Amino acid sequence: MKNLKIINVRFFAQTSSVLRMTGRELMKKKFSVVGTNVIREDGFDKVTGRAKFADDYKFDGMLHAVMLRIPETHAKINSINYLEIENDASIISIITSADIPGSKKVGMIKNDQPIFCDEVVVTPGDVLAMLVGEDVSRLRSALSKIKIDFSPLPVLTDPKKSLEPDAILIHPELGSNLIIHHPLRKGNIEKGFDESDQIIEQTYTTQLIEHAYIEPEAVIAIPLGVNGVKIIGSIQNPFSARRIIAAVVNLPLDKVQVIQAQLGGSFGGKDDIMCILSARAAVAAIKVNRPVKIRYTREESILESYKRHPYILNYKVGFTNSGKIKAMKIDILADGGAYCSMSPFVTWRSVVQATGPYEVENVHTDVRAVYTNNPYTGAMRGFGSPQPIFANESLMDEIALKLGITPYEVRKINGLKAGSITATGQKLQNHDVNLLTVLNVAAKDTDFLNKWKKYKKDKSIVKKYDFTKSVFNDSQFIEPDQLIKKGIGLAVSYRGCSLGAEGIDAAACYLSFQNDGTAYLLSGLAENGQGLRTTFSIIVAEELGITTDNIFYLETDTSRVPDSGPTVASRATLMGGGAVKNAAEILRGRFEELIQEEWKLKSEDEIVFRDNKILTTDNRSLITFKDLCKLAASRGINLSTIGWYKSPNVDWDEHTGQGDAYFTYVYGCQIAEVSVNLGTGEVYLDKITAVHDPGTVINKLGAEGQVYGGVTQGAGYGMLEEVTTENGLIRELNFDQYLILTAKDIGEIKPIFVEGKEIYGPWGAKSLGEPTLELTAAAISNAVSNATGNRFFNLPLNLEEVLLGKKLRPVEVKRGSLR
Amino acid sequence: MMPLIEILTPKNLNEVLSILSNHDKVLKIIAGGTDVVTGLKQESNRFIDAEILIDINHIAEVKGIEQRNGKISIGAATTFTEIYKNQIASKELPILKKAVSTIGSLQIRNRATIAGNFVNNAPCADTVPALLIYNATIEIESINSKREISLQEFLQGPYKTQLKKDEIVTRINIPVPPKTFVGDFYKLGRRQAVAISRITLAVLMELKENNINEIRIASGAATPIGTRFPDLEKFAEGKVVNDNFLRSLASKIGDEIIKLTGLRWSSEYKLPVVQQMFYQMLNRMTKRIK
Repeated sequence: MKNLKIINVRFFAQTSSVLRMTGRELMKKKFSVVGTNVIREDGFDKVTGRAKFADDYKFDGMLHAVMLRIPETHAKINSINYLEIENDASIISIITSADIPGSKKVGMIKNDQPIFCDEVVVTPGDVLAMLVGEDVSRLRSALSKIKIDFSPLPVLTDPKKSLEPDAILIHPELGSNLIIHHPLRKGNIEKGFDESDQIIEQTYTTQLIEHAYIEPEAVIAIPLGVNGVKIIGSIQNPFSARRIIAAVVNLPLDKVQVIQAQLGGSFGGKDDIMCILSARAAVAAIKVNRPVKIRYTREESILESYKRHPYILNYKVGFTNSGKIKAMKIDILADGGAYCSMSPFVTWRSVVQATGPYEVENVHTDVRAVYTNNPYTGAMRGFGSPQPIFANESLMDEIALKLGITPYEVRKINGLKAGSITATGQKLQNHDVNLLTVLNVAAKDTDFLNKWKKYKKDKSIVKKYDFTKSVFNDSQFIEPDQLIKKGIGLAVSYRGCSLGAEGIDAAACYLSFQNDGTAYLLSGLAENGQGLRTTFSIIVAEELGITTDNIFYLETDTSRVPDSGPTVASRATLMGGGAVKNAAEILRGRFEELIQEEWKLKSEDEIVFRDNKILTTDNRSLITFKDLCKLAASRGINLSTIGWYKSPNVDWDEHTGQGDAYFTYVYGCQIAEVSVNLGTGEVYLDKITAVHDPGTVINKLGAEGQVYGGVTQGAGYGMLEEVTTENGLIRELNFDQYLILTAKDIGEIKPIFVEGKEIYGPWGAKSLGEPTLELTAAAISNAVSNATGNRFFNLPLNLEEVLLGKKLRPVEVKRGSLR
Repeated sequence: MMPLIEILTPKNLNEVLSILSNHDKVLKIIAGGTDVVTGLKQESNRFIDAEILIDINHIAEVKGIEQRNGKISIGAATTFTEIYKNQIASKELPILKKAVSTIGSLQIRNRATIAGNFVNNAPCADTVPALLIYNATIEIESINSKREISLQEFLQGPYKTQLKKDEIVTRINIPVPPKTFVGDFYKLGRRQAVAISRITLAVLMELKENNINEIRIASGAATPIGTRFPDLEKFAEGKVVNDNFLRSLASKIGDEIIKLTGLRWSSEYKLPVVQQMFYQMLNRMTKRIK
């Protein structure tokens, strides 16, 4: 419990001790490695199958654990009878809640999620107990012999009904289904609407989606006797896992060592679920005193893991006839599912960014997250931004259409500029506020205005299908040359970097040079497939004028490096990179002192670190970097250090939703060009142009990779992906039914980087991972509207939505081929 | 969970037939395994009881493509990739080739086989409509018998066929249509690859001076199983091809599908789309002929 408070303390001002760029650095224009294309250091191992993922680890005497569940959405467990398997030799231990020495309930923010649900099941993924033994298939067969007596309880799946007075309570002890309410009040909303010439009110919905990381969950716990327990797993945030495991097994933090195996994708999805699985494995391993592995099938993964929040978003916007927005009233309801998880933070980002990147004088926003019996929702790449962006960027196009101006103009009139005040009352300063720059670059590169006007005019009559007459009359057939229509649409966004007022924001890095010029590098942030190790190696290489192949990135291990908070919020390059640069600077300082003394230089400004050598500014070669390390070591100089980077002040008033929410922002504009098949509702993605200002680009190849992946994921969210449930039970439990886009569904993706100036982060590098994903769906929806003349209010724009303006659902949860 | 199953790898067709004649065990033939293995893993009732799998991947009698007496004979265990790359099939059976190219992914096409597609007889089996319009017949053998029947007759209902427990499909025989026939295949899925069909259509027709001399029409996925439309074909034969006629033919397929399928959760989408895309397809084809 004590540990959890650290995260719970939020919304407070931070003290400042921030690395700022020195004048020398700001003037420094030429990089040697930064901004070039560097192949990821883990790339070859991953494509050749040598990379070791969690499930690849095996230990002598290792046992396996399988989960006991019931196919119920909400039920009271009366009793669990293990009688029939008690003498089964294949079962070494039955692990239940009674085996937990510490916290029986955990959570990232609120401790509402049981490790084992032996009293009540509140969602079908819930696990009642666990069987441990040597043979997984025998353990699975034994599961069916356990007699569970339960009483089904009424099920709440509609978040709109969660707060009704007679709603059943998912967690009765909490007294309400409200997880969190974030209000935001700015200006005078009534006055704003009074000053408006026109008002639009609209409701949008977004769907539940799965992260779809390619590697399902896997973790091994190894008991270390008096030394506690060691965990190796597919874990996004080793320090969060350590905190939860320590609480559950009731050990101090130093007795829980968490090692991250190579991670096969996460996208924000291997946080809570992996903390819980690690804790279960740890409880079992300590009890049986043997290593215990948990490895999920895809079905279990989709069944139990958290998802992205579905939102219901009501927007009311008032604007003048000249296109200036005067007021926005926003009411957002997020379905948190059965557990709190990250809902308070996810929805906090929503409340900050809900107006979109626009100057709005009068804002009145309420964002609520509620409990239901649905699969629980938490962190996913985007984290509370893709939903409001879909709404506010659709709305901007609606305003434009109503006023007869272009989507470009309406954004230009209202878009944030340097010195603008955001919805939270924050003045944007100290960095390039590049919203209109990215908009202009994208519009110009795609010839947006001409195409948008042409496609808008070129619309044929889109047939409305009338299902009362299921057989066509002649007029319903589309002339063949009218079947495919082109459309273009844009979306812009701004995004607060890193954690903002969510909590303490600092990161560490360990850097240690050897006397032959090579180095060990390890950050407290984790490699989750985003290419962080390579980015960090580039930062060291740039600072010390060496090549990245001299740097060996160590295995992520909570016992080797300070807690740096979670690897989330697109904060790794900014915060972790800041710490790496700090470490490299500290060591560079020590080297400079030595060189100055050794070569009797007047000032350290004469020293240049370049091409694995040390030179003077007048190009005199002094020593190789390798020999410099040897020399330094022989003089007893410490060539190891811990770098540290702490974010500057942010502040937040949770009653008014006002404050400097984030210490800096990034800006993006994506333009989607599509062809729509008016006969089928198919949307073909011809091209996505993605213009982003991530600050300085450290690894160009990595940055482009982020764009390709983010756009593809964002397009899948816009067009295809959806987890649907029937009475809380998920239909799509594997990738045969849960469809994500393939390479064949994606046309050209064109990344363009506008590198704005920034005083924070390594050389002004900020965030890119999430910005690339958050606005693609909105851009596609606007493009499909441009092509068809119909607007879309409900994601995803799948075949039925585009053609009929609604979703159709199969009646049966189980597929025909399995019945 | 994958059950423990014995796998036999007979060396020739006679060995297969003799294994199949053993009625004591629940036997399943496995070729590409793209239905069997996934079905077992998902504990599908159609596969879960299997005690023995008979691997026919190495039986020469059920492999390969040959042309004889105006017919093309395709071995039952010929993979889609083999069909796609085969010169005879590519030249003489372009509609089958097009259907094959839309199946799953390259990896699935490398394993999945032509007979597996219709023996499994899923409503969405992509090659079934193509084989139906080619009037494909299939050879079926058991230790005591050998018969050849039309594919249409073989297919009984969703996931149901005439195949008896001791029988195996050995070959698919397709009469090569005269050069005067043109055709096309259409598939709609939720994405461009690895997509289960929502609708498939296959058409083969011969025009004589703008009159339809013969037409064969089949669909899949929108109907309970892959099906020809005899009434529709009869209605079309002898008619003059013009836009009005194509529209009336396309709307009639809507009627036919309602008759066969009834109204389902998906009808609201599929019915208009099948008519629209059938019209578009006919339009493209007849324009090409003219």
